[in-house]
Amino acid sequence: MSRIMVVAEKEVRQLIKSRNVMLSALLFVGVFGIFTVPAVLSGMGDTGAMMDTLGFYLVLTLGVFMGYLFTAQVFLREKQSGVIETLLCTPLSLRELWFGKVLGVTIPGAILAYFSAILIMVTGSAFTGQTLVPSLPVLFHIIVVIPAFIAATSGLIGFTQFILGMRENQILNFVIIFGIIFLTTFIRELTGPEFSVTWTVVAAAFGLALLLILVTAWLTRFLSRERIITTLSE
Amino acid sequence: MSFSVDTGEIFGYLGPNGAGKTTTLRVLLGLLSPTSGTAIVLDADLSKDDSMRRRVGVLMENNGLYDRLTARENLEYYARLYEVNRPGNRVTELLDFVGLTERAGDMVGNFSTGMKRKLGIARAILHEPEILFLDEPTSGLDPEAQHMVRELILRLSRVESMTVFLNSHNLDEVQRICSRVAILHQGRIRALDSIQHLTSAGKKTGFSITLADTTQASEAEDLLSSFGGIGEITRNGNVLGMMLVTIHAHEVVTTLVKNGIWVEEARIQKRSLEEIYLDVMRQAEGDVA
Repeated sequence: MSRIMVVAEKEVRQLIKSRNVMLSALLFVGVFGIFTVPAVLSGMGDTGAMMDTLGFYLVLTLGVFMGYLFTAQVFLREKQSGVIETLLCTPLSLRELWFGKVLGVTIPGAILAYFSAILIMVTGSAFTGQTLVPSLPVLFHIIVVIPAFIAATSGLIGFTQFILGMRENQILNFVIIFGIIFLTTFIRELTGPEFSVTWTVVAAAFGLALLLILVTAWLTRFLSRERIITTLSE
Repeated sequence: MSFSVDTGEIFGYLGPNGAGKTTTLRVLLGLLSPTSGTAIVLDADLSKDDSMRRRVGVLMENNGLYDRLTARENLEYYARLYEVNRPGNRVTELLDFVGLTERAGDMVGNFSTGMKRKLGIARAILHEPEILFLDEPTSGLDPEAQHMVRELILRLSRVESMTVFLNSHNLDEVQRICSRVAILHQGRIRALDSIQHLTSAGKKTGFSITLADTTQASEAEDLLSSFGGIGEITRNGNVLGMMLVTIHAHEVVTTLVKNGIWVEEARIQKRSLEEIYLDVMRQAEGDVA
């Protein structure tokens, strides 16, 4: 098994064992997955369009937030505890380490995003009394595009957490939280009454996610052991 | 700064806090670039060759362990990163080596500092490195755990023929287990030699004699004072202390016995590493001033 998979497996295992983090994530998914549905539903006539809208932006937002939450555990925590220094002495390359961690965040993040999608569907169905199923483009968006966005988010945040000092990382945390709130508002504006999720929209979102992943993967060439070591907390 | 470490030796790297011990270690491990020159470990520059890291074991002040994983999971993770053959067997063997077999399934977060250190050593030698870098391995441990860690290090050197680079400011520990030391002050090596040579170096040798009869102490002192080659003599009851400058210890004892003075015990007092270290530090601070 490649070392990337070894790192990813360890991260997933560790996240599952982090009860507080998992409980926070589940609570967040549960609260937003259930309580947003009636609010959105009451403002729209077409319930099918409602499902698509929720599947497009709410699941995406929740997935990205999960990525953010788990990234702090996977990248920053290792730097704070100093364990990263030992890892940097292993034959693991920085890229393998970065990819492994991104994968380790993406897998549980995507599972929780799928769970939130199911929750939204069940809540929506219960609220309307009809069986609500997302359209094919939205299904593709949930299954493929959202994990890609989780990976992009995790990769970018993880990269910056690696290269920034601890104080800068605290500031970054606030910026990211506000960024996610802004993103949610922005997408909601974008997905107004006229908006419908088509294959073109999904393809554009997928392209954006892939572009972000590629840019971040390229940025990892600027990672260095020295940079990580000199930004460790003393 | 220039020094080399021989295969199979335990090399002590001493210095006060902030002297640059950990920085040197990081440079050797290829984690930091030297401001000038090169750091070569096992004929390679670790900053340029990731694969060489397989031949090096590291235990930093942080043990490199995950609190939320069990002892076995921690070792298995590193075993897979180092691509150790039959990792399960090796992990079992090492847990036994450090006496943690019964705690293998427990979360490391519940371990004591000493247990974490033992597991950290097991982790560092998991892939059978040729050289082991240890940064303050007994720091924060109780005396029993310190003893156990020292024994482990000695076993690794004697039984496994592993080269050990030991970063420490625990002088007693270094004197007990290291064969050679370097003493560092403000990023410069101020002394570099074997413990044996450092502790017996110098023109003066401390020597003490315990007399069988206290009433002969005054007579013995007068006799020795008439000798050339002996420095200041001190007397405390039946014990005479002196510095031998140009005379040998056996000559002193023979003279006393020939003059009818009963000697119960004679002891050459080597300088401790602590005395040497403090001398080096004083001298270094004088140079800096």
